[in-house]
Amino acid sequence: MSSSKITSSSTAEYFSKNLQQVGFSSGTKAVLTTLKEAIDNSLDACEEAQILPEIHVEIERVGQGTQKNMDQIRVLVSDNGPGIGAEDLAKVYGEYLASSKFGRGRCSRGQQGIGISAATTWAQLTAAKGVTVITKTKRMPQALKALIEVDIKKNQGSVIEKKNITWDRPQGTCVEFFFDGRLQLQGEGGILTYLKGTSLVNPHLSLKYKINKEEEISLERVSNDTIDLPDAVSPHPHTMKLGEFIHHIHLFGKVSVQNFFEKGFSRISSDVTNEMTKHGFKKAWLNRSLTDLSKDEQHKLYQALQSVELMAPSTKSVLRIGEEALSKSVDRLGEVDFFSVVSRKPQICDAKPVVVEVAVARLKNRPSAEEEQSAQVLRFANRVPLQFDKAACAIVKAIESVNWKAYGLAQPKNSIPLGPYVIAVSVVSPFIKFKNASKETIDASDELVEELRLAIMQAGQKLSRHIKKELRAADYEKKIQHIEQFGPILIEGLGRITSASENQLKKAREGLMKILGRDSEVALEDLKKAEEAHQKMTGKGGASSLSEAGSEEEASSGQETEKSSDKKSSKKNKKDKNDDEQTTLALEGDA
Amino acid sequence: MSRKHLATIKDPDKEVPKIAREMCAEMLKELERANRPVLEAIKCSLDNSFYDHKVGYLTPGEKTVKTELNVSSVLKMSRSVFFLEILLRNLDSGAVNTKRELYYIAKGECKQNKKLKPLDFNDQVESDSIIDFICELMEIYREEINCFANDRGGQTYCQNLIVTEHMPDGTKATIDLSSLGTTPFQPKNRPQSFTIKPKKGQIDFCLVVESEGTANTLVTNGFTKRHNAIVMGAQGVPSNGVRAWAKTIQDQLKIPIYFLGDLDAYTMQNIFRTLKAGSAASLIRNKDFSAPEVRFLGVLPDDVKKYDLTNYNVDPRDPVEGRSLKKAQDALANDPFFKDKKNKGVSEILDWLIKEKRRCEQQAFFMVNPKDPQAFEKIILEKIKKKDYV
Ligand SMILES: Nc1ncnc2c1ncn2[C@@H]1O[C@H](COP(=O)(O)OP(=O)(O)O)[C@@H](O)[C@H]1O
Ligand SMILES: [Mg+2]
Repeated sequence: MSSSKITSSSTAEYFSKNLQQVGFSSGTKAVLTTLKEAIDNSLDACEEAQILPEIHVEIERVGQGTQKNMDQIRVLVSDNGPGIGAEDLAKVYGEYLASSKFGRGRCSRGQQGIGISAATTWAQLTAAKGVTVITKTKRMPQALKALIEVDIKKNQGSVIEKKNITWDRPQGTCVEFFFDGRLQLQGEGGILTYLKGTSLVNPHLSLKYKINKEEEISLERVSNDTIDLPDAVSPHPHTMKLGEFIHHIHLFGKVSVQNFFEKGFSRISSDVTNEMTKHGFKKAWLNRSLTDLSKDEQHKLYQALQSVELMAPSTKSVLRIGEEALSKSVDRLGEVDFFSVVSRKPQICDAKPVVVEVAVARLKNRPSAEEEQSAQVLRFANRVPLQFDKAACAIVKAIESVNWKAYGLAQPKNSIPLGPYVIAVSVVSPFIKFKNASKETIDASDELVEELRLAIMQAGQKLSRHIKKELRAADYEKKIQHIEQFGPILIEGLGRITSASENQLKKAREGLMKILGRDSEVALEDLKKAEEAHQKMTGKGGASSLSEAGSEEEASSGQETEKSSDKKSSKKNKKDKNDDEQTTLALEGDA
Repeated sequence: MSRKHLATIKDPDKEVPKIAREMCAEMLKELERANRPVLEAIKCSLDNSFYDHKVGYLTPGEKTVKTELNVSSVLKMSRSVFFLEILLRNLDSGAVNTKRELYYIAKGECKQNKKLKPLDFNDQVESDSIIDFICELMEIYREEINCFANDRGGQTYCQNLIVTEHMPDGTKATIDLSSLGTTPFQPKNRPQSFTIKPKKGQIDFCLVVESEGTANTLVTNGFTKRHNAIVMGAQGVPSNGVRAWAKTIQDQLKIPIYFLGDLDAYTMQNIFRTLKAGSAASLIRNKDFSAPEVRFLGVLPDDVKKYDLTNYNVDPRDPVEGRSLKKAQDALANDPFFKDKKNKGVSEILDWLIKEKRRCEQQAFFMVNPKDPQAFEKIILEKIKKKDYV
């Protein structure tokens, strides 16, 4: 570790010393990150190849870890994706910054080519063994099985063992890691939370998973549409930091600045370059080669670009899960009472196109003690669950800023609402800004938080209709109890005033029971009608149609306060023909 | 059931206990037949109010309010029957109570009898509304079920009036108002049952002053010594006591009654109209609680001009004043009392108030001749003499 070595150190060496920055800061995180990187890659690869993903996961504790307080964990992830060519294997798993997705302005999960190589490194460092890969492309006659390790000094992958095997599928990839870690299943950093979240935002995913010796769980896909990945967009200059810009310059190398502007970016027209001259840009630079620009000139170029007004980037590049698919997917969260989903149209936030989608669900059969617990928040960035450092995240800030009480949920001031709810918020954008390298916290810019807030509020409003409906059902029940309680008192009072015989009273009680029976029938029928109307309403998809449905329902369930001594049932439904509205008038008349 | 019931209730010598028992018997019978009992009461609202100047007060129309036994009315019905029991017991024994006392009596019953516990009242508003409901159902006023409010106002001064009150225990109480000084006689409970007569000869007129303080000023300065008149303070919106007392003075003494109050929409509609013709909310009892002969002596719009009285602007943007202007417009359009030709004088004042957006207080007369303590008295007498009223 002498300083001379560090100067020539490879990217791999750098990362191997800083694994904590990329998701390996603890045992539980190591398991989650490894799993996540593998699944991300599988999903990305399937999407790219227009394949409906089938992913199989096995996670188990196999023994003692090499480090204190660590277990040895085995993680296996296999997919039905396009497979990886033999020539790429070493690169993919053993080399940092080797990605087919880098800087392409797509909403893919992996972005930088760090993830899976970091997992290999971690396995190598803690279990002295890299990753075992089985892969087969359509063209390969046989599958290839190999152990791949990272040559940290050279930032190169080396294939240690390599053999051809027959495999049970025409194409796909399977990776297996052994490494030091700790299994955490539930809770915010839990593996099950990750798998649940991943299945929620990937309705087209069929997922089977087996954890330890437990029975395998199978989550079938709920959508048969392959994801239409929007075309990649060239980066928008305003979405880049100086470092990224300079990196971008290096990628292009020996081309003219003119050419760099045209090929490397969206939205830089000749009008823009004219405008840039007012901000320190020299027209003559256009014909110079990028590599000839001095560091200082590169800075000036960057600054001039940031100083001009540019058209906002196109929103076409952003992918939406969609309300329909999301609705179907919600059921995979567990036993769901009811839910609402909102899929916003693409918006520009901080000069970047972004799509926000929200699902809020109430889970069934949660013990009542949990009512007081905060709702579970599932955060997603480009359909990857975010499970750590939630406090500063834009999504959490937005959820906390919403007044959930208005939708019938309990909420401590400026906090996440309480109860057996899941609030899932997905942000998709080719340019998500994270607060740190481990990509767990979305930067909370005002514009993004506001957009998130709008989406969450819409979902809350929709949800409140379910909650109100539920209250209505409870109301009917209360009404029936009400008459059961007071009817007999009424009859006894009448009996005392009229000195009626016991026989008369008995008959009157029977009469009351008959009336009561009719009332409960009517109440039940009303409830059924309300439920039907409700189903009709939720059957409609799309945010716009839902707002119409909202007003429709408002009209049919208008509640009014009855000024009567009967405060307990003062809320009533106009549909309930039995309610004597006129009583209200009489009392108010004498006010 | 209630229609034929109403006929019985309208019987002139109605017996409250009898009506109540019949009503309950009817409800029980309906229940025995597995029918929902329906209680029917006159709708007490402006849209069911009629006015005929020959009758002189607002009377109810045909509209009724039906309360059927169902989920939302069952508590109210049970409570009503429960309360009837208490009230009937009071009528039996001759005991009286205020609404507040009845609230606690009801609570006490609910406490003692576990079965009644669910009926318990949370506050007086709840029990008051049941008492009112019973009154509406039976078309009686609460005084008829021995429920008396602590009536405000009605402080009366006169040097020539004897009041005889017939006590519940059969005894009589006689009050000679001339034996009182500046401390007034104040009628309570059921002033309709008082017998009143002048000590000697005739009394010339009765003056009702909106401000009880000003009424007392007039008396203390010698009004009733110099004039053979009754002076009464209304103390704002007339209570049942004041209304019934005015009616008793009108009917038994047959003397002119003049009302003197502020010149504003509130006084016209809520104080003067109620005194003279009753209110929509009290349709069933206006007959016994209004004095149709009452005249509006002032402050008249002409007085403001004639005496150059200080007056104030009414700001339609002010929430309170704006609402009262709006209500005045409403009254001109919909209130049968103001729409009646006979009351043109009063509705013209209302119209003037809406158009001019001014108001003037009764005490403004004190600015006319500030050095003369009897100036106000003189103006009143002059106005009466010149028939300067509406
Ligand atoms: N399961 C897989 N199936 C097919 N291709 C894969 C798979 N995993 C990785 N790849 C390829 O390897 C590349 C590098 O992966 P990785 O190092 O995780 O970087 P990133 O995901 O950020 O692109 C991917 O861009 C993809 O082309
Ligand atoms: Mg990756």
